[in-house]
Amino acid sequence: MADCQETLNELERFLDSELSPVRVAEVIGHLKGCSDCQGAYEFHSELRTIIKTKAQNEDLPKGFLDRLLGCFGDEVLGAD
Amino acid sequence: MGARENFTTDAMQYAPQLFATAMRMTRNRADAEDLVQETFLKGWRAFGSYQEGTNLRAWLFRIMTNTFINKYNAQQRRPQESELDDVEELFLFRRMGAFDQSKINQSAEDQMFQLFTDDEVKNAIEALPETFRIPVLLSDVDGFTYKEIAEMLDIPIGTVMSRLHRGRKAMQKMLYEYAKDRGLVDESLLDPQD
Ligand SMILES: [Zn+2]
Repeated sequence: MADCQETLNELERFLDSELSPVRVAEVIGHLKGCSDCQGAYEFHSELRTIIKTKAQNEDLPKGFLDRLLGCFGDEVLGAD
Repeated sequence: MGARENFTTDAMQYAPQLFATAMRMTRNRADAEDLVQETFLKGWRAFGSYQEGTNLRAWLFRIMTNTFINKYNAQQRRPQESELDDVEELFLFRRMGAFDQSKINQSAEDQMFQLFTDDEVKNAIEALPETFRIPVLLSDVDGFTYKEIAEMLDIPIGTVMSRLHRGRKAMQKMLYEYAKDRGLVDESLLDPQD
């Protein structure tokens, strides 16, 4: 059974989905019985969502997609 | 539908993601637009080497990342370790008690989402030195695995992990400082540590 320090040390890789199934089971097992670590997990999970959502919130410049289509050359319209 | 038409349609769906990441990389709208266009031009020219069935999204991001690094001469291989202050573990989490509830007009559910503005999140990423910013972008924003990022940047997986770890902590510290600047923080609310 993983203790708090081990769990917190692995939290980042857990959130990155980079732990082995055995480690994942250990972390989940600990989180279920420890509200402190569960709180740390929920906080960082939400922070990830916030960062991803806000960092991606970007309007495309006017006409950008059309200009991008121009990168593909004439072959796009003709037969392959 | 020919293979090239498939490629075009498939590539176009990633344009918004590529553009958002390009914005955070270049920190400039005109440069971001150029970077994505260059990525598509290079992708189109390299089409012969693209094998259908390989991960097109990762392939495009790899082209874009390398184009950015080469073009802006980002110091990918020799990170300036001193560029980033060492930030304690769980920096932001340990300080959440300092956020003054009376100054935050949101339901508990939205609270953290409203605590940091879009611009603050963008600035916190953009303020990171490139060595840290690029892995953080590729992981936190674009969801690539350690292995994919290691391949894109041609660095060991352990290096990816340590740059992510340090970059994320630095970013959390910046978010905290921004909130502090906006008067949302009352540090007297913090429990004395250790
Ligand atoms: Zn615990």
